[in-house]
Amino acid sequence: MIEDPVTPGAATGNGAATSDAKRPDSVLEVKDLSIFFQLGRSEAQITKKVSFSVRRGERIGVVGESGCGKTVTALALLGLLPPNISRTEGSVEIGGRNLLRLPERELEGIRGRQVGMIFQEPMSALDPVFTIGHQLRETVMAHNKVSRREARERSIEALASVGIPAPERRYDDYPQQLSGGMRQRVMIAIALACKPQLLIADEPTTALDVTVQAQIVELLIDLTERTGTALLLITHDLGVVAEGCERIVTMYAGEVVEDGPVDRILLHPRHPYTSGLLRSLPRLAKPKARLASIPGRVPLPGEMPSGCRFAPRCTFADDRCALEQALAPAPGGTLARCCRSGELELQGALA
Amino acid sequence: MTTAANTEPLLQVRNLKVHFKTGRGRETVMAVDGVDFDVLPGETFGLIGESGSGKSTIGRVIACLLNPSSGEILHLGTDLSKATRRDRRFKRRDFQIIFQDPHAALDPRMSILQSVREPLDAIGAGTRAERDVIARELLDRIGLGAYYIDRYPHELSGGQKQRVNIARALTIRPKLIACDEVVSALDVSIKSDILNLFVELQAEYGLTYVFITHDLGVVSHISDRVAVMYLGRFVELGPTAEVTGKPLHPYTRALMSAEPVPLPRGMRGDDQRIVLQGEIPSPISPPSGCRFRTRCWKATSRCAEQVPVWREIEPGRWIACHFPGDEAPQGMSTVL
Repeated sequence: MIEDPVTPGAATGNGAATSDAKRPDSVLEVKDLSIFFQLGRSEAQITKKVSFSVRRGERIGVVGESGCGKTVTALALLGLLPPNISRTEGSVEIGGRNLLRLPERELEGIRGRQVGMIFQEPMSALDPVFTIGHQLRETVMAHNKVSRREARERSIEALASVGIPAPERRYDDYPQQLSGGMRQRVMIAIALACKPQLLIADEPTTALDVTVQAQIVELLIDLTERTGTALLLITHDLGVVAEGCERIVTMYAGEVVEDGPVDRILLHPRHPYTSGLLRSLPRLAKPKARLASIPGRVPLPGEMPSGCRFAPRCTFADDRCALEQALAPAPGGTLARCCRSGELELQGALA
Repeated sequence: MTTAANTEPLLQVRNLKVHFKTGRGRETVMAVDGVDFDVLPGETFGLIGESGSGKSTIGRVIACLLNPSSGEILHLGTDLSKATRRDRRFKRRDFQIIFQDPHAALDPRMSILQSVREPLDAIGAGTRAERDVIARELLDRIGLGAYYIDRYPHELSGGQKQRVNIARALTIRPKLIACDEVVSALDVSIKSDILNLFVELQAEYGLTYVFITHDLGVVSHISDRVAVMYLGRFVELGPTAEVTGKPLHPYTRALMSAEPVPLPRGMRGDDQRIVLQGEIPSPISPPSGCRFRTRCWKATSRCAEQVPVWREIEPGRWIACHFPGDEAPQGMSTVL
C-alpha cells in the first residue's frame, strides 16, 4: 500500500479545510446542501446545509448512526432522490456543473461515467435475470461508443481487475451463482467500468463476513490508489474508516458535525458526538466493564432542537449550546460544529 | 472436559452433528459436524464464526428448537431429545433464545405487555393479574416504563424492541439464554447500551449466556470463554483473553487480524495483517481433512489427508490444527 499522503501534521492545512474557496483538484464540491421531503402536507428537512469537498484520489469516510442523513446525501450526489417528494437547496458540483439543477438526460451522462456507486446489498443492485457479463457490458456500452465485442473484452478486464478468478467463465454467470463477496466485487467492477473520478460506496461491507470485508476494503484502497478515483465511503464502522480512509466526515441529525484527518480524529475528536461513537466501541474497552453510550436517539426530522442538534444527548451541553452552531476550525486542524470544541478534551478510541 | 472442578455444566455437548437434507433430499448440509463443549453456570460462552459456520444452528439446538442428527446435548444432565414430550416441555424453559432481528421476533398485533406476558401465559403461571405484574416489573427493569406497555412493536425503535425481547426471555426465569447476534442489527451507541444491559442482567439474575456473534469486538467484550467455529466444526476454544490475545489456530489469527481496528495507522499492527483468500466453502461438500485448509497459508498435504484432532494443548485451551501457533509446517516458511 502506498504511504498515506496526508500525514497528520501536514493535513491540518489542506486536508481538513472545507473552505469556501474552490480547490482546483477537487472532484466534488458539496455546498450548503439541504434536502427536504414532502410528508403529506408538511415538509421535513432531512439535511441542513451540508458542505464538504472531495479532492482527486482522496478517500473519505462518512460516519454517523442511522437517520443522520448519510445515505440521503449520497443519493442526492447522484441525483437519485425521488423528485416528486423531495426538494433541494445548495449545490453539488462535479466538473463545474451543479448536479442538482441538471436535467435527467445530462445526469445520466454523469452517473457511471464521472460518479460510480455501490450499495450495501449487491444482490438487490444486480438484476437476477441477466448475467453479470451482460450487466457489465451494458454499462460499458452505455457510456462508450464501442462494439459488443470490445465491450465484452473490457468487461472481462474489469472483472479481472477486481480479483474475480477465471473472469471469462464468470462472465456468463448469473448474480445468484456468486457469493456475497464476489457479487460486491462485480458491483465494484460495474461502478468503476467507466473510470469515474468518484466512487460512492454506501455500507459496501456491512453485509459481508469479516474476512471478506477485509478483502473488499483492501480492494477498494488498491483500486482507488491505482486509478486515482476518489472514494466516499459511507459506513457506521469506524474501524473500516480507520483502515480505508484519510478523512472522516461525521454526520449527525442531517448536519456535518466534524470533518478532519482520520488519524487525528480517532485519537482526538473535537465533537462530542464523534467522541461518543468512538467510546462506545466494545473492542477497545475493558472486558465486561460498562461501555460508554450516547443516551437518547437521533431526533426525527420534524423534531430538531433549535440550537445544537446534539445538545439534548450531550453530556457537555451548556447555555451556549442553545444557539445554532457553526462548523468552525477547532484545535488540531479539524472542523467541528461545537462551540466548546476548543475547551473540551474529548476521549477518542483510546481511553 | 473444561476446567472448573465442582460445578455441574448447564450444557454438555458431545460430538454434536446437525445435518439438513436439501436439493430434494439428495444433498446433505453438514451445518454442525462434530462439536464438543460444556457451558458452565454463570459464564458467558462466546461462539464466533462467519456466516455458514453453523453457530446459529448450535443456538437453536441449545434452545431445543432443533434436535441433533447425532451426538448428544445434555441440558442439566438430561438428553431432552430422548425425554418425554412433557418432560421436554418443562425442562426446556430453562433454556431460552433471543434472535438477531428484534422486529421479526415480535408479533405486530400484540401490545408490548402482551408480548412480554405471552411466555407466562403459555406455561400457565399464576393468575392473569400476577402475570401482568411480572411483565410490568420486567419491562420496567429493562428500561421501558409504563408509557410503553400499551404500545405496539412498530412504535418502538430497534433497541427498544430488543429490550422487549430480552424481557420476554426473562419472564420465565431461564438459567441460560442463547443470544444469537442480538446486537448486530443495532447502531453502535445502542449496541453498547444493550451489551451493558446483558452484563447487568447476568449479575442480577445469575444468568448464563451463549453469545453467538460474528463481531469480535462484542465477543471479546462480553464472554469469559470463546469458541471459534468454521464450517460446522470448532477450530479453537479457550479463555477469551487468551484466544483473542494469542490465537493459536490460523483461522483465529486471520479472523483477529481481519477485524478493522479504529486506530490510526501505525497503532493497529498492520504488519501482522493476514488477508485470507476466497470465502467459506459450501457445507454440502466441505474440504477433506482440515476444513480450513483451502484458505490456510500453512496447509500441507497432511491437512488434506488427516482431520486434525480436537485436543487440549494447554489446560482449558482446545484446538484442531496440525500446525498450531507460530510453528511452521516442515520444509516451509510461514508466509506472513
